Amino acid sequence: MNAPSASAMVQLQAVTKRYGEFEALHSIDLSIAKGEFVTLLGPSGSGKSTLLNLIAGMIMPSSGRIIIDGRDTTTLPTNRRGLGMVFQNYALMPHMTVFENIAFPLQVRGLPKDEIRRKVTGVLDLIQLGHVAGRKPRELSGGQQQRVSLARCIVYNPALILMDEPLGALDKKLREQMQLEIKRLHAELGITMLYVTHDQDEALTMSDRIVLMNGGRIEQQGQPDTLYFKPETVFSAEFIGSSNLIPGEIAAGEGGTVTLKTALGAFPVPAPDRPFKPGERGVLLVRPENMTLTDRADSTSIAGRIEDSILLGGVVRHFVRCTDGSTVIVQELNQPGRAGARRDETVRASWTLDHARLLPSPPTR
Amino acid sequence: MTSSSTATGASGLGPWSAIVLLAPLTVLMFAILLYPLGLTLWTSLYDGQLSLRAYAELASSTLFLKVLRNTFEIAITGTLVSLVFGYPVAMHLAAQPPRRRTACLVMVMLPFWTSILVKSFALVAVFGNQGLLNQLLGFLSGGQINLPMMFNRVGVVLGMINFLLPFMILSILGSLLALDRRLILAAETMGAGSLRIFWKIILPLSMPGVVAGVLINVTLSIGMYITPALLGGRQDMMVANLVDFYTRQTLDWTAASATAMALLAISGLLVAMLGRVRGGLSGGPA
Repeated sequence: MNAPSASAMVQLQAVTKRYGEFEALHSIDLSIAKGEFVTLLGPSGSGKSTLLNLIAGMIMPSSGRIIIDGRDTTTLPTNRRGLGMVFQNYALMPHMTVFENIAFPLQVRGLPKDEIRRKVTGVLDLIQLGHVAGRKPRELSGGQQQRVSLARCIVYNPALILMDEPLGALDKKLREQMQLEIKRLHAELGITMLYVTHDQDEALTMSDRIVLMNGGRIEQQGQPDTLYFKPETVFSAEFIGSSNLIPGEIAAGEGGTVTLKTALGAFPVPAPDRPFKPGERGVLLVRPENMTLTDRADSTSIAGRIEDSILLGGVVRHFVRCTDGSTVIVQELNQPGRAGARRDETVRASWTLDHARLLPSPPTR
Repeated sequence: MTSSSTATGASGLGPWSAIVLLAPLTVLMFAILLYPLGLTLWTSLYDGQLSLRAYAELASSTLFLKVLRNTFEIAITGTLVSLVFGYPVAMHLAAQPPRRRTACLVMVMLPFWTSILVKSFALVAVFGNQGLLNQLLGFLSGGQINLPMMFNRVGVVLGMINFLLPFMILSILGSLLALDRRLILAAETMGAGSLRIFWKIILPLSMPGVVAGVLINVTLSIGMYITPALLGGRQDMMVANLVDFYTRQTLDWTAASATAMALLAISGLLVAMLGRVRGGLSGGPA
């Protein structure tokens, strides 16, 4: 057992959660630093919400320890953990006004009336909703309700705020606006935040660190950049961003490069950091935006025929059908006067060596 | 109206179907409800000539006013006792997993499956002066304690809550089940203890159910007849018993009819309030 670290706000040590035969979380170790904004990202059923609920104390782990702010809280009831939590459905008290909702946690803490009034007014100003203090939650829009729910959290200054898909019920535009607002509050208040989402864009926008979860385990964690540019598994590569994946077999390599033999030809790839053996299966990853259309035939390009090109505003996405029937996606910046690629035109999708990444072949299920 | 017309439309029987389908019940209701009711109203207004004399007499009758006060006292006591006993049961039921809750609800509904006469005599056997409870108390206290719990106010209330509780429990349970559990989780994360969560969140949000339950209970209990007759004492006469008294003891049909109409008016008022409360509150905490 590791000793609780002083700089960590949350430490999970070998936390496992079982429901009967089903293991929802497999021995999770995770440490969140004070002031950090960490996102638990993953598809539904990956265990991210289970993990959040364990930290909140709404469910108990089957084994392992949960340490919050240096205190072992594994068996502590929710109301004594000193947390804040923001829910997807806002969970505002429908019978209380906005003011009363925000005052509630302060009343729980037994603050004097005038101090409660001062603090509630303060956070209402912070979220720019002072004018709705006297209204009931149902009279507010979804975005306003979620801001009130945020205010209700930050008003008592908890050391840690947990957010369970807080923007899931909002439309895209409002969601983007709220992402920035939450980020701003995080920067201003310095509260540690643990955020759960299945939306990769949201995770990339907001996080200091992303913890990608898959099937009850941590698939990979790191800064958004790292997860995007250096995915370690096919799952990571596919979950964050879009990817071209070409499976093959690792042949002998020389220097910093190895060769991957695929159905589309043999391609040089930078040698991975992890140990590997020639003959092993591997997958070549190239992000669509790192591919360009050329007519130059070299070792880092694939011949194909343009099946379709779609315009996405700032970028254009070409679907290139390769000789073996698979499709690679090439994404180029859209510029005025860009020569449009023609359908059925024969092209080469090309990339540079340092944009290629060799991933281990995913376990067959 | 709208729903009945869509229902008949859906059955594809044409515009006459509503009349044809509803006719038997309409005839029956007319024969056994509206006609006698009209007759009662007529009797209360006519004794040789049309007059409101019977109502004027009721309003100045000490007997009627005393019985009316009795009725409300008993109804409100019974309702409050039913609320105090029913709320915790409803909370317990709301906390059960659905299958178990269904099984428990069957037990809540059990009193409905027993004749009120049988229940009344059973209550006497348990709570009477020589009943099980008093025998036990007498045994434990060496014959010192014998609580009079039957043929008085206590007896009436005991008999009533046996009938009223299911209505109270079901009404409150409905509100509790509609309560979003995440509100309680949110309150817990904010540090609130169980007592505060109950007083500040669960109780206020279950008020629609409480108010509905209380109104249903009061409405049902002001019309009680058998229970006060069988389990009450002389002082526990209720309005329905007074109607019985006028028709069978004094043969004053006009007074009996006027009393019955007064009771109907009071019940009608309460039912109307119930409708308002339900309509007003159901739009609220959704």
